[in-house]
Amino acid sequence: MAFYMIGERINGMFKDIGEAVAKFDPKPIQEWAIKQTEAGAAYLDVNVGPTAADRVKSMRWMVEVIQEVCDTPLALDSTNYDAIEAGLEICKKPALINSCPCERPKIERVFPMAKKYGAKIIALTMDKSGIPKSADARVAFAMELVAAADEFGLSPDDLFIDPLILPCNVAQDHAPEVLEALRQIRTLSDPPPHTTLGLSNVSQGTPFRPLINRTYCVMAMTCGLDSAIMDVNDDELVDAIATAEVLLNQSIYCDSYAKVFRQR
Amino acid sequence: MGLTGLAIFKLLPKTNCKECGVPTCMAFAMALAAGKATLDQCPYVSDEAKEALESATAPPIKLVKAGSGDKVLEMGDEQVIFRHDKTFYHPTGIFIEVADDSNVEAKVEEINGIVFERVGQRYEIDGVAIVNASGNADTFKNAVAAAAAKTGKVLLLVSEDPAAIEAAAAGVAERKPILYAANGDNYEKMVEIAKKINAPLVVKGKDLSDLADLVGKIVGLGYKELILDSGERETSKVLADLTQIRRQAIKKRFRPFGYPTIAFTTEEDPYLEALQAQVYVSKYASVVVMKTTELASLLTLFSWRDNIYTDPQKPIAVQPGVYAIGDVTPDSPVYITTNFSLTFYTVQTEIEATKLPSYLIAFDTEGLSVLTAWAGGKFIGENIGPWLKDSDLNQKVSHKKLIIPGGVAAIKGKIEELSGWEVIVGPREANGIGTFAKLKLGA
Repeated sequence: MAFYMIGERINGMFKDIGEAVAKFDPKPIQEWAIKQTEAGAAYLDVNVGPTAADRVKSMRWMVEVIQEVCDTPLALDSTNYDAIEAGLEICKKPALINSCPCERPKIERVFPMAKKYGAKIIALTMDKSGIPKSADARVAFAMELVAAADEFGLSPDDLFIDPLILPCNVAQDHAPEVLEALRQIRTLSDPPPHTTLGLSNVSQGTPFRPLINRTYCVMAMTCGLDSAIMDVNDDELVDAIATAEVLLNQSIYCDSYAKVFRQR
Repeated sequence: MGLTGLAIFKLLPKTNCKECGVPTCMAFAMALAAGKATLDQCPYVSDEAKEALESATAPPIKLVKAGSGDKVLEMGDEQVIFRHDKTFYHPTGIFIEVADDSNVEAKVEEINGIVFERVGQRYEIDGVAIVNASGNADTFKNAVAAAAAKTGKVLLLVSEDPAAIEAAAAGVAERKPILYAANGDNYEKMVEIAKKINAPLVVKGKDLSDLADLVGKIVGLGYKELILDSGERETSKVLADLTQIRRQAIKKRFRPFGYPTIAFTTEEDPYLEALQAQVYVSKYASVVVMKTTELASLLTLFSWRDNIYTDPQKPIAVQPGVYAIGDVTPDSPVYITTNFSLTFYTVQTEIEATKLPSYLIAFDTEGLSVLTAWAGGKFIGENIGPWLKDSDLNQKVSHKKLIIPGGVAAIKGKIEELSGWEVIVGPREANGIGTFAKLKLGA
């Protein structure tokens, strides 16, 4: 099992990317694509941001300019499924769709699209009523998503189930529930679905973001987490992940394991 | 591991009738997977689903036994695809073929005589396969009786003619022979014979899917003492089939393949035949049937089988004791190390390279290395001293000088005090032995 790091940085929520998308300036986007690839990202998240005028057009343009400079697979991040489909059409490598909640109409739109383009899906353990608190409720959503994958001819292995972590300063009681959910999600099917987290959420609004991020990431890996949308340029975080992989006997130890982790 | 939530859900009726007390079939599947509910809460579940769920708790590969007395061969009951994941438990049974129209007694005598003693292990052939080459039931029956009288080894009766098997098996029923083989045409009769004497029955398919069908039919007749043969004889295909059978049984809990397997060698050259058999021993065969009686080929095969079936989690140890390296004399130097095989062989190789005949003591540390055993109190003066004092080395050498590993120089005083020997501290690393022997021992 290899840990998939999904680079979070190419997101219009960040000021430099937002401006680049608005002005169709490829430079900041391409720089981050290269920088995150060099840090070992398995996927690059691509989000046009809230300010983009035409999401479909912007998404297609972003995918094009990123693919000019690197061939790292992309995680197309949008609530607009037309924008995602526009991106999928031109992705050179199988992409990751970010994301699909456990709502029937969205499943019916996203799952066949994933099948058509050979893409994988980040699937959220929530529906219209919002994010559940208990691990059991999260796992119940996960089970429905796994069954839906089977229904649409996808393998559980095509799903990255995100049990949705919330900031620990305002929703502290969610963190252990998410850990328990991660543990159970791994047992839902054989092969098990992948799991992922929007890791940086856990530390949102706190003054200790890197410390909280890497501590929680290691805890979650112990419960079976095998990917995260994260700051791949946070060296201490990446070192912690590489170390956790070794200590979980998922990769073979060598003295230069942290370097090897970034290069594979 | 039991069934996953998804696997159970697929078996449920999906009526969402709530009669089980759970809101949906999916929630019920998850409750079952978590052990919080039992299947009898659902009134609409099919027999097929019941069988699948029950089998999830059974071991992935059934244990099947053949033979009697102290020659019982246990087959199957394996849990892993790779030995480093845990271990392989039941070593492959090596059988040799005897044709019923040959001199059966002489051949069985020869097979009985194949016994090897090697590094404290005794190897012998596990079984004799009597092949109905004559096609005649009486000849077969007599040959089986003759073989049974000559050997206590496990018997394998090879004929696809139920009449021949029935006649021969009746005479050796209490020996619990393996019956070979049930195929698509004869399986009903073969199952009847096997049931009567409760003997393991080989199921021979035309290919994997035919094999799975046939096993399903035989299990339907109520017989589960089975061994599988996919029918392939070409090495690469047998390898692929054995791998599929093991993988499906363990990873997918595919019940028709949850049994031990048998493979037959086809190579004429004994050297190639042994190589072919080594592939099958490595890749999951529970029984390998061979033709050669050539000792060199069989010895390599037995050594290989022994290596494959050792437990990788236990440290591999050499027999504790005193080893002579080269033509030793009463003046030869005496080295000591532990009986951890990696340590022992490293030191032994370096001593051999000095060309100076020497004694090497493999001290019993339960297979631990020098520093580990020292830290664990197993390689210390209090243990080595008294042992050395009473050791028969005192008769073998005229001096009383012991060379110890440099890493445990601290044990020198205690050994000297308790043994009366003089202790020389050797190099820390075995690769320093060459220089050490040159400077200190005049090698």
